[in-house]
Amino acid sequence: MKLYFHAMRLHLKSLLEYKASFVFGLFSQVFVFFSYYFIILALFNKFDNIKGFTLYEVLLTFAIIQFGFSVNEIFARGIDQFDDLIVDGSFDRLLIRPQPIILQVLCTQIAWIRISRTVQAIIVLVIALVNLDIAWSIEKVLVLILMLLSSIAIFFGIFLLMASYCFVTVKGLEVRNVFTDGGKHMAQYPIGIFRKGFIFIFTYIIPYAFVNYYPILYFLGKSDNKFYMLSPIIVLLYLIIPFYAFKRGVKKYASTGS
Amino acid sequence: MSFIEVKNISKTFKVAKRGSGLKNGIKSFFKRDYIAIDAASDISFEMDKGEIVGYIGPNGAGKSTTIKILSGILVPDSGTVKVNGLVPWVDRKEYVSNIGVVFGQRSQLWWDIPAIDTFDLLKDMYKIDEKAYEKTKNELISLLKIEDVVKVPVRQLSLGQRMRCEIAASLLHKPKILFLDEPTIGLDAVSKKIVRDFIKKINKEENTTIILTTHDMSDIEALAKRIILIGKGKILYDGTLQKLKNRYGNNKKVVITTQNRLSNINKKGIISHKKNEIGYEFIVDVNILTINEFLKYLGTKIEIEDVDIDNVGIDDVIIKTYEEYDL
Repeated sequence: MKLYFHAMRLHLKSLLEYKASFVFGLFSQVFVFFSYYFIILALFNKFDNIKGFTLYEVLLTFAIIQFGFSVNEIFARGIDQFDDLIVDGSFDRLLIRPQPIILQVLCTQIAWIRISRTVQAIIVLVIALVNLDIAWSIEKVLVLILMLLSSIAIFFGIFLLMASYCFVTVKGLEVRNVFTDGGKHMAQYPIGIFRKGFIFIFTYIIPYAFVNYYPILYFLGKSDNKFYMLSPIIVLLYLIIPFYAFKRGVKKYASTGS
Repeated sequence: MSFIEVKNISKTFKVAKRGSGLKNGIKSFFKRDYIAIDAASDISFEMDKGEIVGYIGPNGAGKSTTIKILSGILVPDSGTVKVNGLVPWVDRKEYVSNIGVVFGQRSQLWWDIPAIDTFDLLKDMYKIDEKAYEKTKNELISLLKIEDVVKVPVRQLSLGQRMRCEIAASLLHKPKILFLDEPTIGLDAVSKKIVRDFIKKINKEENTTIILTTHDMSDIEALAKRIILIGKGKILYDGTLQKLKNRYGNNKKVVITTQNRLSNINKKGIISHKKNEIGYEFIVDVNILTINEFLKYLGTKIEIEDVDIDNVGIDDVIIKTYEEYDL
């Protein structure tokens, strides 16, 4: 952990080497985010609710997904860009260091520049929470924390799974966008508003629904099912798959060198 | 038992075969033909602690495959490796704490910040004790003459300065074995000398075992008594540099300065000739053709202005050996 914190400091230092681009980068991140945000606002300008979900309820769903995604874009950037490490050969370097591989990959890149996205996600989250009439309780606080954590976990898992795929084919990972961007866009809305097929995929294949759909039903008082409250924990179980895949990938790398 | 024991290691890579052009590109997308390349076949050698070995061979001979196996990055298809009692790819974490690797063409330093920051990170990476770290760091910095260099962002350094920082970075944890992969590539004369002197020094004082790959034969001459020559994945020669030289030791390089053009050279004993800016360069086997006879023969053909006679350099020996093995 000490190592990772040290890497965090150095990445910040590297970034500050280029002051102008740092400031500019922070701003451009603001615009990207708000374009998503305005789409939702525009939608609710036309409709009062989408299948029973109000503006602030959707914003809550949206904020939870954006939070987890942006945290990964900052801190798991190295895993997101893992193909670079393989292509330029720097992955070899990680294998000759006495530290866990995944930890080292995380240390290779920390995109502080994207911190503004996380801040924005938190702002939207707060706006949504303030405007929703929530009967707060310990369970609700717990479920909120679980949702935020599982949102981080699901994107970390997806990034890691895609990184593992780099051991098979190095470049051309358009597939990843279907899972991350495509899935993310849908999961910004309550999954329940979509068709059955999508609900199935985003519940069991990529378990977005456990991050911010079922828990939100409980959180908003739309359901009393205690299982819904704990459903984010399922996401953590799903993490076994990418970790295993990555481990296999490293093994394969050691035997083929590519 | 030797410090490093490599026994019968073999490694075959499957490489996708692709024709040129779009049509073949599309074809290979659907169906790939693979060709097997023996990057290492039946390689065995031993090294003692504190030895320096020059590991040489043409590009694609299998040098880096061996280095990667020895540093635990690759697992061989067959054969065994034991270094200081450890198997590199099995006891990875323990093993790599004892090795240092410098890839001449690949940097481990962070580009945008001073090298000293990378050093500090490596301290955490290898969990080096604070006191020992400060001591080693200061020693390395003064030996490699990089006192000021380490405080400047790496992107602003010259290649020579950067390479010296790279070497320091690879030695902070005091490895018992150091792998140097082309450490002097592209360096100016001053940096080269500093790097070579430094390598000699740590070998002598720390008894560091060193495996050096390079294309620069003067590196080998300056540093390694023993060389291992590898080609097409096989060891072609393992022994002293002197012995290899003696194999071709009866060859002399004769440089002739002349204004004339030369044609029809056909004499036993003249192994090769080529034109240069001032005249011609010959390789002569003096067992067959003495220098005296050679000059006499040449004198009948051209006006000789000046003569320079030299022993055949190590580069030529290597080239000859490659030719002999058809590499």
